[in-house]
Amino acid sequence: MKQTLRGRGLVPGQARGEALVSNRAFTFAHGVEPSTGKVTDVRSDIRGSNVRGRVLFYPFGKGSTTASSWFLETVREGNHPAAIVTEGVDLSAVIGSVMAKAVYGKGIPVVGGVPRDAYSKIAAGDRVEVDAGSGEVSFGR
Amino acid sequence: MHLDSAQEKLLRGEGGEAKQLAMEIVTGVGDAVGADSLVPIVSAHVLAHFSSLHEAGIDVLEKFAGAGGKFAVPTSVDPASIDLQNWRSFGIPEEYAKQQFRLCDAYAKLGGMRCWTCVQYQVCNFPKQGETVAWAESSAVVFANSVIGCRSNKITAGMDVACAILGMTPRFGMLNDEDRVAKVAFKVAAGDLSDLDYRSLGYCIGKSAGSRVPVLAGLPAGVGSDQVKHLGAGAAAAGPVTMIHLPGITPGTGALRDATKGESVEEIEVTRSSLEEVESDLTQTTELPDLVAFGVPHLSAGELGELARMLEGRKLKKGVKMYAYTSSQAYDMAGRTGIASTIEAAGARITHSTDAEISPLKRLGFDVVMTNSAKLAEIVSAEGEVKIRYAPQKQIIDEVCA
Repeated sequence: MKQTLRGRGLVPGQARGEALVSNRAFTFAHGVEPSTGKVTDVRSDIRGSNVRGRVLFYPFGKGSTTASSWFLETVREGNHPAAIVTEGVDLSAVIGSVMAKAVYGKGIPVVGGVPRDAYSKIAAGDRVEVDAGSGEVSFGR
Repeated sequence: MHLDSAQEKLLRGEGGEAKQLAMEIVTGVGDAVGADSLVPIVSAHVLAHFSSLHEAGIDVLEKFAGAGGKFAVPTSVDPASIDLQNWRSFGIPEEYAKQQFRLCDAYAKLGGMRCWTCVQYQVCNFPKQGETVAWAESSAVVFANSVIGCRSNKITAGMDVACAILGMTPRFGMLNDEDRVAKVAFKVAAGDLSDLDYRSLGYCIGKSAGSRVPVLAGLPAGVGSDQVKHLGAGAAAAGPVTMIHLPGITPGTGALRDATKGESVEEIEVTRSSLEEVESDLTQTTELPDLVAFGVPHLSAGELGELARMLEGRKLKKGVKMYAYTSSQAYDMAGRTGIASTIEAAGARITHSTDAEISPLKRLGFDVVMTNSAKLAEIVSAEGEVKIRYAPQKQIIDEVCA
């Protein structure tokens, strides 16, 4: 059965993919290896997972303001997530996604304002659909 | 976010492709953070190091430059990942240098002030009290808000270039009076403060303040701008701090109550043991270093002079390198005034237009780095490739010099 969460669309677009869920603050800067998409941040609870093609959930961004460029480098390498869903507003994800569209023609929707306790019900392997136009995030098996 | 008709036209592309892309970025950010409008800025400061911007960063800059983009306001440029003049003698591989130079070429086309420094406020970018700027470089943003009394948010990579192209930035956060009110008070009571203590104090504030604007009381009278620079850098490295109210220094903040607008806030005392805790947190080893790094953020000409005095008649031990990182301008001055020759006679080197935390330390063969910079210690230890020793400048020199 499908369930739907509602947030605020920050960068428009639609995408679908398998869920990858982190409950800790997240950064692409020194935290995701652009050449593989692998999460390398020693403080991350999804270290070792790969963001490529996934709908990536995390509560907040953290750390260096260069994270937008690290994110964009994963796009250039083709190892980027399909969409990003956050509880707060991660400016690095917003800027990285806007630049990804402008420079590489790749749409990576970003949705904010989805509470952690709501999205933490999503199980690993769930299929997720993101519509940043309506802010809707649907998931299920 | 409300756009006026001229801004609407830029977003539709009527001002050219570069301004359209810049508008897409700033409106995307402005809408996401709930900004009400775009406001003019008097200057910008943009990031330029290949180690974080990667090839994608080059693509962005080349896209802006290729579309005929030009910076609309004076825009200073942050350090590169290599010493742009002497990189070969520092062992930088040719391929790596080439990538960095592509970034540099793009900034030349865009009309950046190529000062290659993170202390632009000590070199070439001088906003006045009350003015609005869009600066990247977290330590410089703290200095701008706390010491100069101008207004800047911490501007992210990509956004920095967009604001510079437009000469505008979304109004939110530190641009609003209500977001500049202090919500937590720190009081330092740790006796005389060494060079290291200012950095540790900043780090302590950055860790504890969280997203609250802090006010700091108890600094000695006559504290120097270099000391405040390192205090702010330590704070910004440890947390999201973009401003520290310093009573007697920050314009408009004569006393602690001015910072909090008379509201009572949580008070945190910083004691000698709080500073010692930072020292132990930022120290990963007791091994002899293979690199000593001073100048994250960049040393001023005055600090280079001080280093020369401390190194006079000393000689570095075998197997240890010592680099003093500074702006191109202070480097030139040190060369003309005998400061450089004193430092070099001790076996140390001055390097400019780059900085330690954005250079490929591991690739250059360094395993243990000793520094008095809390910012360098925090960044390098988080990466986990190189081990850090954190100590005062005098102790470092006594240990690594004969």
